[in-house]
This record gives sequence, structure tokens and C-alpha cells, in this order.
Amino acid sequence: MSFLDSKPGVPLLESDDLARHYGVRRGIGKPDATVKALDGVSFTLESKKTLAVVGESGCGKSTLARQLTLIEKPSAGALKINGDAVGNLSDKDAKMFRRTVQMIFQNPYGSLNPRKKVGQILGEPILLNMDHLGRKEREERVRDTMAKVGLRPEFYGRYPHMFSGGQRQRISIARALILEPKVIVADEPVSALDVSVQAQVLNLMMDLQEEMNVAYVFISHDLSVVRHIADDVMVMYLGRVAEKGPTEEIFAKPLHPYTRALLASAPKIDPTHRVKSEPLTGELPSPINPPSGCAFHKRCPFANEHCSQVRPELRMFEGREVACHRVEEIA
Amino acid sequence: MALLEVKNLTVEFGSEDKPFRAVDSVSYSVDRGEVLGIVGESGSGKSVSSLAIMGLIDFPGRVTADSLTFDGQDLLKMSARKRRAITGKDIAMIFQDPMSALNPCFTVEAQIMEALQVHEGGNKKQRRERALDLLNQVGIPDAKSRMTAYPHQLSGGMSQRVVIAMAIACQPRLLIADEPTTALDVTIQAQIIDLLLKLQDDSDMGLLLITHDLALVSEAANRIQVMYAGQLFESGPADSIFAAPRHPYTQALLEALPERSVGRDRLSTIPGVVPGQYDRPKGCLLAPRCRYANDHCIADRPEVNDFNGRDVRCFYPLNDQGQPTGQPTSQPTGQNAGETV
Repeated sequence: MSFLDSKPGVPLLESDDLARHYGVRRGIGKPDATVKALDGVSFTLESKKTLAVVGESGCGKSTLARQLTLIEKPSAGALKINGDAVGNLSDKDAKMFRRTVQMIFQNPYGSLNPRKKVGQILGEPILLNMDHLGRKEREERVRDTMAKVGLRPEFYGRYPHMFSGGQRQRISIARALILEPKVIVADEPVSALDVSVQAQVLNLMMDLQEEMNVAYVFISHDLSVVRHIADDVMVMYLGRVAEKGPTEEIFAKPLHPYTRALLASAPKIDPTHRVKSEPLTGELPSPINPPSGCAFHKRCPFANEHCSQVRPELRMFEGREVACHRVEEIA
Repeated sequence: MALLEVKNLTVEFGSEDKPFRAVDSVSYSVDRGEVLGIVGESGSGKSVSSLAIMGLIDFPGRVTADSLTFDGQDLLKMSARKRRAITGKDIAMIFQDPMSALNPCFTVEAQIMEALQVHEGGNKKQRRERALDLLNQVGIPDAKSRMTAYPHQLSGGMSQRVVIAMAIACQPRLLIADEPTTALDVTIQAQIIDLLLKLQDDSDMGLLLITHDLALVSEAANRIQVMYAGQLFESGPADSIFAAPRHPYTQALLEALPERSVGRDRLSTIPGVVPGQYDRPKGCLLAPRCRYANDHCIADRPEVNDFNGRDVRCFYPLNDQGQPTGQPTSQPTGQNAGETV
């Protein structure tokens, strides 16, 4: 199938000014409001690369995931897979592209149907998308994929409740892989797992990337995990990108004040690092009524008059994209 | 004398003849003005042990201990009425999920005033003033207007501040915080931990901080306790326990952290999972997952022993180089080489 083959010079996944707004009813007599959950997000993702999306809850990470997996249609902007615009396809056409972008969900306890056996859970995507395959071929494919993610073949007939959290997340990964997608959107795939199991699942995800050439959009709030797995990092704040660039550069020298605060807030195992470095005051503002100017200015230690009036646009600085008026001064 | 002294606390569930030990002979103490961190994976018994201190383990759970003394009084030997007067007042607890710890049907004000009414009395006006003081103390902006807010109108961080306000309402001498920041964002987590440590410092309170986050506990606690499958595996001062772990489990946990493998492709893992009710090993509970385990570890269960000033439950505690000491010439069984689940 031609649309699945990668084309030279064209990024695998491209998002251009992607936006998703939701209407919110606020009750009788009040005008409806708009929540800009996602507001002008652009990025490109190449094959076999990992883009991490980080930010606090409410910053639009999961909304972005829902656009990328074609679960929702964006309000504005363009989304391209292999150069084909997929933002506003009909349901029938979207179904073809959904095969190329699959998703792993956060909670391995909530995202598997408790009334279906593992074999059925993994077989369902094939049944829906590759109906030319017979029952035998389907079963074979399910067993192959189970072996890939480290599940024993005799688990085929078991129910999800018989597995531990780490094994369930392996089932979720297998379900995402079974259609051989090009991109996997992983929404906090390890945050419900213990440290030792988290390491197993992260290793598995990295091995599978090598083996199957998938690209990951890795949504996480855990910065140490992001540093380990990602090639590029995109820091989001209130639906917009605050900073975007190569992982090591961002961790070595965060430019945006919000990125700095995020890194400073994360606790570290280092006996000498006991002094808290300026934890961020205040909370994420309401997306219904965002602050004027830079959305971050009320919590930012460097904010001035200009920041509270004019919204900073994303611009290049030291090989990275940063949305801050004062980046030259504070860098 | 320590504020809280726990000796051989055991919590069992299930039938009498085949009990499941969620907590197995755990001993520790918390002093005034001290922060004790308890860290462990899920299923390690860290929450159950704190619920046992609060007297919140219901039938069919059974709590036994050689002693469970708070401020010189044994909590297990006193009458239920006397114990109720202590829990909630002198010993207070903060739970993991602030959204479900608050009653959605009542305002913030009513819920804080209820705690005050039970333990301190006073008239309604005094209680309301005290509630407002508390909200200011825990750093809620515009506290006066938040008094009449319902929990659904508050963010996660604000709800946790309200829960903390309720916990410190009666000026407790011991505060048990069970995963107080797990449901919160990292910037809010830093704020809440800051607040807890400030309150603890101001009032010379003892703080029992229970978490699965090794980095968090290493930053906040004075002493750290590592638990595994209901047992205490290692305890010691915060500044040395993670710098030179003595127990293979502590060592393996630290190595599994992504920040310990910067620049490496693969993370080191602990194979397998925490044993549950039906797959408890006969010997050391870690033996099937431990890279140093030998036949002795598989056959016998180690006790907690003192090793270089640290309490360690291991036959072969690690030296400064991270190598097991006192191991006989027999090689480790090496059965954990592959990554199996």
C-alpha cells in the first residue's frame, strides 16, 4: 500500500499549527466559553525517533495525543502522515491512516477490557483492519507479537486480571504494535508502574523501536525517563509550546523559565542536593480564562510589563525553539 | 524516648491457619522533629503499616506487635475510646489522593471544622476563625473565599493543601503522609513537600513520609527505611543509604532509575515482580530476583542485622564497592541473567 511507504525527504509525521478548541457551556445566562486545549503546535517526527512531550496536567499533552491518533479532528492547522494531510478526513479514509498511528494508554488496569482474553484483545485490531486474514493467520500474528513483547504464548487464553501491572502494559504495547504502525503515541506509559518494572518496560520499548522502526511520541511528566528515551523534547504550557529542542541540550541548559522550573522542581538522588531551588509558585491558570500576554508570566521570576501584554511567539535561539521575550537576557 | 516506637509490627490478612503477611515484623521509631522516609514498591506493605498505626485496619485484618508506643503509651493496649482521642489529634494522616480524601458533599470549611469539633471543641465562631487561620497557614491564596468552596472547585494541589490543613488542625505531634504528592504535578509536588517540611520544622513534629519515589525521599527525609514485600530490608541515614547501599535490593532499585544510566542505552532492571500472596519464596524474599543470591539465600530467610551502623536484612550485605561481603566461595547461582517476566 503506497500511502504507508515512507517517502524520501518527507517527515513521517508533521504537525503544522495544530489547534483544538472545545466549547464549554457555563450555565444559563452566561456566554459559552472556548477552551484552547491545543493552540498552534508544530513539530515534525522522523522514523525511528522519539519525541517527548512534557508539561503539567492541563497543558494539552493528551489533547495532542487524541489529534495525532485521529481520534478527534483538529479545529485548525494541518496534520500530515507521510506528507498526506489527514486532519479532516472522512471516517472511512481516517480508518486507513489510523493503522499507521497507534496508542499506548497510561493506566494498564483501565485500558484492557476485563471480559476479553488476551488473544481476543490483540486479535481485535486485526479483525477490524485486516479482514483478509483468516482465523489461523490472525492467531499466528497475535502469538508472534506476544513473543516480541516478552509474553509467553500460553498467556493467549488468559484474562487481564491474571497479570501484573508490568505485564499488562506489555499487552497494551503488543496491541499497539500488532498492526505494524509507523508511529506509536504513548501517553504516560510507565507512570503507573514501579521503578524496577518501569525499567523493564522502557527497555522493551527501546528494543522494539530498533526492531520495528517505529517512531514514538512519548508523553510523560517524568523528566528522568524523558531524558533517557527521547531524541527531542517539546515542553508545553497551557496548550502552547514553550520550548523545543534536542534532549541533551535542553537538559544541559534549559532556556525557557518554565523548563528551568520544571527541571529544578524534580527531586534528585544526590545527598548534596537538598536545598530547594526556587520551586515555582502558583498553579497552572485556568484555560478558560488564560492570562494576557505570555501565559506563564504570572509564575515567571523574570516577567516584566512586556510579558504581560504581548504573547511571545516561538523563535529560534541557540539551535532551539523558545517562546520567551527575554531569552537573550536570561540565557 | 522516641515519639513513636514500633516493635515487630505484623499485619495479617486471610485465614488464621494460612495468613497472608502484608507487614512482617517491622520495627522503627520516629523522634520529635525527625523526618523518617519509608520507601518501597507497591505491595511492600508501606501503606498497610501506617494504616495499622492509625488503627485503620479493619476485620479481617489482624494487627500484632510487641509494642506500638506513642509518647510512652502503648496504642494496642489502651481502650478504643482513648485511642480515638489520640488518632486524628496527636497522630494525623494525609492520604495519597486528595480528591477522594475530601467529602464532595461538604464545603472546605465544614470539613476542617469537623475535625476541630471532635478534638478541640470550642464554639462555631472560634472554629471558623481557626479554620481560616489554617488555610492561610497552608498557603491557600484568598483563603476567605475558599472557605465555602466545595472540593470539586479546587485543583489537586489546593485540595492537598486543604487535606494538610485538616491534618494539622489539632497540632499533631506525628504526621503520617502516605504518598502525599503522587497524584500531583512535579512543580506542585515541590510546593507541597516544601510546605510539609516547613510545618514539620516550625512545630517540631515527627513526620513519617511514605513514598515510592526514591529521589523525593532522599531529598526530604533524615532517615530512610527500604521495605520489600512487607519486610524491612534496610534502614539508615538519608545521606549515606543511597550513596552506599548495603542491601542488594536498594542497590538494584537505584540502578533501575533512568538518571543512573545517563548515556547508556539500556536501563538495568530487576527481573520478575514483587512476590504476592501465593508465590512467596521459602528463603529470602528477594532471592528469585537478586543477582547475588546463592543456595543459602534460597533455603533460609535472613534476619535484620546491624552492619556498619545500618540495619540490613541480608546474609551478605554489600561493602562500599557494592560487592557482597562474607559470601563463601560458591558462585552466585546466576539464574537471573535473562530478562524474564
